[in-house]
Amino acid sequence: MINDLIYVYCISNSPPGHIRNMESLGLKSLRFGDFYVMMKYVSESEFSEESLKKNSSDIQWLEINAREHLMVIAMIMEQTTVIPFTFGTIYQSVDSLNKFIEDYSGSLIANFRHIGGKEEWAVKIYCNRKVLNSQIDELSEEAAVLEKQIMASSPGKAFILQRKKDVLIEDEIDRICKNYGQLYYDEFKNLSESTCLNNLLPKELTGRGDTMILNANFLVSKGKVTDFKSIVEKLRENDGKPGFIIETTGPWPPFSFISIKEKQ
Amino acid sequence: MHDNVIDRSKDITILEVLDRVLNKGVILTGDIVISVADIDLVYLGVKLMLSSVETMEQIKSGKSVNV
Repeated sequence: MINDLIYVYCISNSPPGHIRNMESLGLKSLRFGDFYVMMKYVSESEFSEESLKKNSSDIQWLEINAREHLMVIAMIMEQTTVIPFTFGTIYQSVDSLNKFIEDYSGSLIANFRHIGGKEEWAVKIYCNRKVLNSQIDELSEEAAVLEKQIMASSPGKAFILQRKKDVLIEDEIDRICKNYGQLYYDEFKNLSESTCLNNLLPKELTGRGDTMILNANFLVSKGKVTDFKSIVEKLRENDGKPGFIIETTGPWPPFSFISIKEKQ
Repeated sequence: MHDNVIDRSKDITILEVLDRVLNKGVILTGDIVISVADIDLVYLGVKLMLSSVETMEQIKSGKSVNV
């Protein structure tokens, strides 16, 4: 089996030192002028266009390789600033990789300037609609008014009003989620250099019972990371409403804040 | 060494990993790349995997399973 395709993990702007399992993973650092590419040689049988297409639908293969991709980049990130590549980016030859670096060198420099001295942090907020529903009369004035009317009505009228309230509750929960999501997002945004909103993941993908209402990444200056992380505690103590779960994770390689543009 | 993602690598879900490494970073510059259509298939695969885990848990806990 000939390993002659080049799998790229990331580019750094200073030479990366030795990292864990470097030899067993077959990692090599190639220098191109001021840039250092962390790569490994891979075979066509695993990473040709056709093989990649086939393998990416094999969840086990994907999990092993996607985890390795992330972990290698995260280890290099401990030593130097990195521009991470998306999983499964392959070059046919060193010449082809060199051409990419020459064509995009201005953009690479701009990206290093943008991400230098900063960390990527992820914030996901989930809402448990059942919990909000159980305390809706305290959270929503309109719901409280309707509840009073229901209590004072005949059974027939109360039934109709309850139907009306059920519809109102769904709208009110949506509104409350939107308001709190925005409020929390703004808190994190105020301490960040850049933000990136991601698609909300459906319950089928998160495997959770509650609903994702915010999925965002933040680029935070290293000096502000402690304050950024303490926002979660602050929100829990001051404004945190039961029913909302805030999760922060990081530092991640700055996948969300890379924008590579070809030389004009 | 501070407590970063490497130290918690086992706790990171496959979804969290894929959410980061697919379609982000330096994209569409290689001679060969995973296409967007393939990424949709990847997520479909994860969804099937998660639902099969859920089904297994339901079977183990003796609950009925809707097929």
